Amino acid sequence: MRLTPLIGHLRRQRAAMLSVVIVLQAICATFFLIDVIEDFLEPDDGRLHVELEVLAVLGLCAGVVILLYELRDMLARIDSMDRGIRAARGDMSDLIEAFFAAWALTPSEREVATLVLKGFDNEAIAGLRGVAVGTVRAQTARIYAKAGIDGRAQLFSVFMEELLADPADRSPAPGDDGSRRSAP
Amino acid sequence: MTRHSDPASPKAACGRDSVRIVPVWDPLVRAVHWLLAATILVNGLLSDPESDLHETLGYVALGLLVLRLGWGLIGPRPARLASFPPYPLRALHHLRAVLTGDRTVHLTHNPLGALMVWNIWGSLGIIIATGIMMGTRRFFGVDWVEEVHEAMFDWLLLSVVLHVGGVIFDSRRSGVPLVRAMIDGRKRIPADAPIE
Repeated sequence: MRLTPLIGHLRRQRAAMLSVVIVLQAICATFFLIDVIEDFLEPDDGRLHVELEVLAVLGLCAGVVILLYELRDMLARIDSMDRGIRAARGDMSDLIEAFFAAWALTPSEREVATLVLKGFDNEAIAGLRGVAVGTVRAQTARIYAKAGIDGRAQLFSVFMEELLADPADRSPAPGDDGSRRSAP
Repeated sequence: MTRHSDPASPKAACGRDSVRIVPVWDPLVRAVHWLLAATILVNGLLSDPESDLHETLGYVALGLLVLRLGWGLIGPRPARLASFPPYPLRALHHLRAVLTGDRTVHLTHNPLGALMVWNIWGSLGIIIATGIMMGTRRFFGVDWVEEVHEAMFDWLLLSVVLHVGGVIFDSRRSGVPLVRAMIDGRKRIPADAPIE
């Protein structure tokens, strides 16, 4: 279950609602403005009445402008969140590629390993790739052996450890001997 | 684009890789676009020109137009007026490129579309101005005001037809469903198309 699309969806909904309010308020402001101009040209109410209407128009217009700035900031926040997630996604897939390369996985092993990371079990992977479950089991065993890890759970922890590592002592690249996890 | 190529996900990735989804039109731009289209449709073809409804919708269009121009000064980049200046020469170059098979996708308006935006807004502005003038004592019943109002509306109608035709043509040329982009704000751009 991915959560970020939901958050993005809620924010986009708020931006859409704000836009509708702005449009309505702008239309109201136009009508008030026209009314004020008519009163000004053909006054039949007192001056106070016209002055109050002018104030109302100014208030409405100020409201529209402030809401426009608010909407712009909201859209910018949505945009920067999207960008951040996309950048993180790109970095993540770069990281995964680098590890796969360091472990010298074959192309089909890479595909299987990626599906494992996406949470598919062996049966599902076999179904997706149109091969026997035994084949997938053998492939995953080879992947774990090449990576020097015990199994599925450790495959995740390899990447989580890299992501959560303290930036100061973060190893610059996946180990070149390809078996750093086999150390005690 | 190596970082987006994902060789190991045969089914999950194909939808994402063949089309790039780019958010372009913000909700305010879309709301103004469709409401303005509705006011033009109703006032031009349905409402009685002497009626209160006609006058009211004219004011609504005025409010929408002013709002859009204001948003064009402070809004996000694709909504900015400066993003689609009306340059006839650039539009001609674009037309020539399109006719010789160029498939470049423009993230906002293409140069021809930009020209059309200004044309429609300008025509609308003149129609609204003359419409308001007709309601004043000074210009009531003055022939040229009414003639300009009606001539500009004919021009606007022709422009709208050209605009719709251009949208259909460009959707087919570039493979980007443009009407859908103006509804949900996102352009679905074929992965192999060059973007400008």
